[in-house]
Amino acid sequence: MLGKLLKHEFKHSARYVTAIYACTAAVLLVMLFALLVKITWLSVAASMILYFAGILVVVMTLVSVIKNFYDTLYTNQGYLSFTLPVKCSSLLVSKVIVSFIWIILSFAALALIYFVIFLNARAQTDGKMGDIVEMLRESGILDMLPSGAMIAKFIVLVVVLALLTILTFVGFVYFSVTLANTRPLQKHPKIFGFLIFFGSYAVSNSIGAKLTYSLPLSFSVTNEGLKLAFSSMENSGSVFSFGIGGTVFMALVALAMLFATGWIMEHKVNIK
Amino acid sequence: MSKIINISDLKKSYGSKEVLRGVNFSCESGQIVGLLGPNGCGKTTLIKILTGLIKDHSGMVRIDNEEPGVYTKSIIAYLPEKSYLPDWMRPCDALEYFSDFYKDFDRNKAEKMVDKFGLDMKQRLKTMSKGQQEKLRLALVLCRRAKLYILDEPLGGVDPAARSHILELIMENHEEDSTVLISTHLISDVEYIFDRVLMINNGQVVIDAHVDEIKDKGKTVEEVFKEVFSYAW
Repeated sequence: MLGKLLKHEFKHSARYVTAIYACTAAVLLVMLFALLVKITWLSVAASMILYFAGILVVVMTLVSVIKNFYDTLYTNQGYLSFTLPVKCSSLLVSKVIVSFIWIILSFAALALIYFVIFLNARAQTDGKMGDIVEMLRESGILDMLPSGAMIAKFIVLVVVLALLTILTFVGFVYFSVTLANTRPLQKHPKIFGFLIFFGSYAVSNSIGAKLTYSLPLSFSVTNEGLKLAFSSMENSGSVFSFGIGGTVFMALVALAMLFATGWIMEHKVNIK
Repeated sequence: MSKIINISDLKKSYGSKEVLRGVNFSCESGQIVGLLGPNGCGKTTLIKILTGLIKDHSGMVRIDNEEPGVYTKSIIAYLPEKSYLPDWMRPCDALEYFSDFYKDFDRNKAEKMVDKFGLDMKQRLKTMSKGQQEKLRLALVLCRRAKLYILDEPLGGVDPAARSHILELIMENHEEDSTVLISTHLISDVEYIFDRVLMINNGQVVIDAHVDEIKDKGKTVEEVFKEVFSYAW
């Protein structure tokens, strides 16, 4: 059943974001066309539109994740969702997976868009960017950068932390929306949803920030490369030390919130 | 006949307000049962409990000998009072949705019924009239080979001319051995199809009788209803 839930979840949620993806792709094509036929002003204008479109793709995706969750479970559509012959946990898992994929796609689209903008800028400057890179190389600044292997490890670390952050966002949002739709709070579900989200996020984040600095769990950049260290950021002695206690804590809180969301959906939700 | 619904001492409160106060009843398979009562008497709460939409109640509820859950949802065809299909859906999407999730959904029959209703398979719900949307929802429910049909105010938003047509559809299309539980306040229109009626008042079953018993006393269901709920008239 999870496969069928995923299929319909994708079908349903795609409506919210396909329009913005289509518009962005159209602008991208305009920019490439302008580049090919060398219409500079059009290419620059398309670049600027794309810059904002990239941000819009991410923002719209995040909004659609929230709206889709709320609409399909806690409006009249909840009568359809909650009477399907599936467990509430399956409903929740399908929504988490689909939201996760959409958010990752939106950030991938953002990265692609900015990469294309960079390539466009490079083409527009007729290789002057190459000169800048050459200048940096001659000045020795590039030699100070870590090796390619270390940068690759660093990118992996950033990606993992980004995935945990997405999970955190989804967990906090789903929990807030669900709790706001229990009987005592459902007279004003949107207001309570916002309050629960920002309240719980602020409290967890401040604890997470402290743990980032003080918990003996960090990644340090040393001469030997990127290493997991069981020392806190405060005591690491390295300039390039990244505490991950906070991110791990937030992800654990989000997981707990997802479990709580499943429990509330199963036992306490009241569809109006 | 086996019991499809078995409820004992069912209680449900919203805060300090007790909506169901010890409901007891059971239904055998193959009956058409009318669930009657004034607004706010607890009919919809009872239906929500049967369909698994409300879980935090006390007392015993069994559907086909099981607690409300995944299995019971698979054997109940539920028509809520509210419009529950997203407005971007088209009849073809709704049919696909139901055939994916309900093993007992007869897609061929649904396609024929949609066609008979004159609905366009590719028309979005948001561009359909209220009546067309209700027809689609009814088709989705009646094209399941369910053990229990629960219809919450199926005639609510329908004009008088269409009511008898809908009742005919219900009579013709529900499975023979199945039970149909119909909640309605339009008693005179629908009472001729009932085998049995349950009247609820203040969260309790006040009348549980076979329609033949009522008729034997020379009364109609509506007359009994008016006697029981005379304060409401």
